[in-house]
Amino acid sequence: MTTMICNTCGQKAVIRMRQHRLALCKDHYLEWIIDQTQRFIEKYDMFNRREQVLVAVSGGKDSLALWDVLWRLSYPTAGMYIHLGIARETEYSDLSEQYAREFAAERGLPLHIVNVEEEFGQTIPELAQVSRRGRSKPCAVCGLVKRHTMNRTARELGFDVLATAHNLDDEAAFLFGNVLGWNIRQLRRQAPYLPEKDGFARKVKPFCRFTERETAAYALLRGIEYIEDECPHAVGSKQIEYKNLLNQLEEAQPGAKLRFMLGFLQAREDGFFPLEEIVEEDLDLQPCPSCGQPTTTGGLCSLCRLLENARAG
Amino acid sequence: MPVILILRRQEFRLEGTLSVKDALKQLNLSPESHLVVRGGELLTENDSLRNGETVKIVSAISGGVS
Repeated sequence: MTTMICNTCGQKAVIRMRQHRLALCKDHYLEWIIDQTQRFIEKYDMFNRREQVLVAVSGGKDSLALWDVLWRLSYPTAGMYIHLGIARETEYSDLSEQYAREFAAERGLPLHIVNVEEEFGQTIPELAQVSRRGRSKPCAVCGLVKRHTMNRTARELGFDVLATAHNLDDEAAFLFGNVLGWNIRQLRRQAPYLPEKDGFARKVKPFCRFTERETAAYALLRGIEYIEDECPHAVGSKQIEYKNLLNQLEEAQPGAKLRFMLGFLQAREDGFFPLEEIVEEDLDLQPCPSCGQPTTTGGLCSLCRLLENARAG
Repeated sequence: MPVILILRRQEFRLEGTLSVKDALKQLNLSPESHLVVRGGELLTENDSLRNGETVKIVSAISGGVS
């Protein structure tokens, strides 16, 4: 087979992105990721250089790559790591925290750490045991705790915006699952940019148009050390099943994932699936009487209900 | 001497000189979610793997419900 060459300089390529009909060498790939990230930040009007960005980091490739890129683009950032208490025997959470700490220390960046067990009295696997929806799979409970903690931390510490490293595969798989079940409520919550509103911090996803393969390649080429092991609870999850299906489609039809996602965003521009947050009458948000975070339930928020169940045993 | 491919802690052995694309295909791994690295260098699907060398396969897939 012939050696692939960089479309920019003609040197040996290290990656080919069929959906963009583009092959790049190491230097031009690293530059491309940074330039594209800046383009997405501007396109979706996510934040500017005067705003403080809290980056949610897990110790994995996506979030550390995102933090690295934002740091190189000179945005004022701090990281937030949530210790979930997962897999004590394999030290999954401890190792992830170590990668996040080392990354921050090497670059002299501040890192805020929240420990779920210290904060809520129980780890994610323990909390999942008391939840009907989390007993077989803790991912739903984990997502709930993370969303709550990220929002609260961003607001309490006075950050302008919360950045998460959701990538194209995450977004396409989430969209696929919601279309499969015609979950209109969730479809109306999915966006690269969610404005600040009634107790919710502004949330952005600057990596939403990069595939997981592209973010992994960035982390490897940049020499970022990250936790490679899968979260033990994610193995066999629906989300991963959807990602595998979409990758099969992508192999046959390069660009299918991006077209799926961009088509959805275009449909919103055309008036379909309007974003819940910007349609005032749709949401009757009240502060949770226990934690003060916004909720539509009219009583305790979902997390406080879960914690109440946990306390009741 | 086969080509040795390591994915997480699992070792695979394939005989003969073959491309990255063919190696992933033989292992039933999607090129959309796996990268192959030789001595820190990222390989494209056209690059050749030779008998006796060891390469690392990096899985790019992650996540439960976000």
